[in-house]
Amino acid sequence: MVELRIKKVWVDRKVEADDFTRQLLDRLAGRPVEVVDSAEPVRETVRLSSDPVGESKQHLFITAQPSFIRPCPCTPGCLGCGYWTIDLDLNCPFDCSYCILQDYLGLQPLTVAVNREQLRGELEEFIRQGRSGLIRLGTGELADSLALDGLTQNSAFLMDIFRGREKLWLELKSKSGWTQSLRLLAPAENVVLAWSLNPQVVIDYEEKGTASLEERLQAAAEAVRQGHRVGFHFDPIIHYQGWREDYAQVVESIFRRIPLEAIAWVSLGSLRFPPGLLSLARRRFPESQIYEHEFIRSAEGKYRYPRPLRQWLYKEMAGMFAEFGAEGRLYLCMESVEVWQEFLDKIKRGRRNFAFPFPWQC
Amino acid sequence: MVYKIIRLTDLNLEDNRFHFTLNPSDRRLLRSVSEIGVMQPVIVILRQNRPVLIDGWRRVEAARSCGLEQLPVLEIAEKTDDLAVFLLAFFENYGQRPFSLAEKSLAIRKFHDFELHPAEIIGRILPLLELPPERWMFELMLEVSQLEKRFLETIHHRDWKPVAVELLMKFTPAERDWLFSLLEKLTHGQQREVMERLYSLKRKTGKSLDQLAREERLAGLIARVLKGERAAVDDLLTVLRRVSSPLISRLNQAIAEEIRQIGLPERVRLDYDPSLEKRVLRLTLEAAEQGDLKRAVDSLADSLERGYWKRLFQLLGYEGE
Repeated sequence: MVELRIKKVWVDRKVEADDFTRQLLDRLAGRPVEVVDSAEPVRETVRLSSDPVGESKQHLFITAQPSFIRPCPCTPGCLGCGYWTIDLDLNCPFDCSYCILQDYLGLQPLTVAVNREQLRGELEEFIRQGRSGLIRLGTGELADSLALDGLTQNSAFLMDIFRGREKLWLELKSKSGWTQSLRLLAPAENVVLAWSLNPQVVIDYEEKGTASLEERLQAAAEAVRQGHRVGFHFDPIIHYQGWREDYAQVVESIFRRIPLEAIAWVSLGSLRFPPGLLSLARRRFPESQIYEHEFIRSAEGKYRYPRPLRQWLYKEMAGMFAEFGAEGRLYLCMESVEVWQEFLDKIKRGRRNFAFPFPWQC
Repeated sequence: MVYKIIRLTDLNLEDNRFHFTLNPSDRRLLRSVSEIGVMQPVIVILRQNRPVLIDGWRRVEAARSCGLEQLPVLEIAEKTDDLAVFLLAFFENYGQRPFSLAEKSLAIRKFHDFELHPAEIIGRILPLLELPPERWMFELMLEVSQLEKRFLETIHHRDWKPVAVELLMKFTPAERDWLFSLLEKLTHGQQREVMERLYSLKRKTGKSLDQLAREERLAGLIARVLKGERAAVDDLLTVLRRVSSPLISRLNQAIAEEIRQIGLPERVRLDYDPSLEKRVLRLTLEAAEQGDLKRAVDSLADSLERGYWKRLFQLLGYEGE
């Protein structure tokens, strides 16, 4: 995994005097610091680079967010999984060729919110709204949950506020390895440490700056040894010649290290992207071949692998997990009702949404 | 600024340092100038003792075509530097009409050559031109401005968008030459699709455009398109789509064959989603009387019994590479 590289720290004037801001600046000592009124001056600097997206990953903006908890938007026409996002950080220092944040965040620098204490109140309010069942929340949608953890120690903070809240499950999702901050975390029943996985060949070509597959699996194994629950995400699954053997090896590697009981869930999703990402990603990753695959333009406007291929990828993956008795841990991410209906044949016709624990686990 | 009447021949038209627009003079302007001459003064500045045109290229062209000898001008103070003069030329046109991408690229080139700082061009000029204020776009526009005139004119007249121009610039100069001879034969929408599919094919196969164009599946069709055969354009697109969507094309071909085998009764129409995202069929049946309905239903029942539909549903539900 590549070391975090911050060229410059930008501090939002409204949080200049905040204690957490001071702590962050101490941890970032030696970097140039500028106080600004908004993220706009950062964007103005970033856009002068030939690779503004890459540049945005090297500027840290310390600010406050008006709110943190949002329902995961999923994709129109797809079956949601009832996930909620906590947007504590924005953007990610890793540089995956397929990452939609390149397009979605619009040159937002790496952003850390120092008003995280506000999340306690938001969670209380969230609970008061009387949602039924277990609810999953995670910080890994608009950022990598652990990539900046050495700096922010958000994982410890989040664990602290989720501990004991049985109906709320927190997921910290990452492509990093075992981190110093994880070492200090006491496990909690309702917290899942999750890793996004891909074969090493995909990591080498498409996931720049991230931990190797081996490092991620070792981290997961270490987490289990310390008593944590873990999760895995195969998203996006990339189709290429020899994909099946490579993914089967990854699945086998999981179960060589991790007992089934420690795995809370595994998601499957295949490569998809909005049209705006195509030219941007080709510009940024001229060597990448993933955008030259066969795609269809789906109803919501995204490019996706054709349904016959997606369905086959999921079926094959499900088979790989079934060999270890783990098919019941699987769910699909951002997939259509039609694909869900075929997948494991366990979703009721016409059902538009569901929440964890998934119906086939009950 | 001084109003003057000058002789047309005094204008130094070889000095086009402030010229970035591409619209040629039109017939209506020509007619107007031939009737009443040029009423609205063009804008000039003295450089090396000769007036150089800042704005009014179409009027000057029309005046020359009509054989006028004199022209009203507004002369800018000679001490004004070139960048300030070009800003005037730019904004004088800016309010009148949207610029094409080719004109935008030429304007950006001028700003660059007149040493406006890149940060200023990116932060101030690109947003005015409704382009993303990012360095890569600035660099792309500088590159586009260097294209041959015929390329710029196509981009201008066909109103190419940045995404299409960016795609074009990904081909080598030699490939662009060849590609342009092909694109000239296509409509706007076809140009973009052909470029996208050829570019993707080039990346996927690692072959040059020249090598791809000589492949058996494409060579004949491309030759026909270059000869101006309109029907060949559709055939070329079909082949390119098949090459870039092998799975869906193959399944659609097989489905079409199954439907042909079924032999649908008259007035029965079968629809399905050709992207195969949905795996259901939709049958529409028209009947004017009970007899029509019975014949259609019997015919469908018969084809069901003969097992033709089973294979069709298998194809619609296909899972695989």
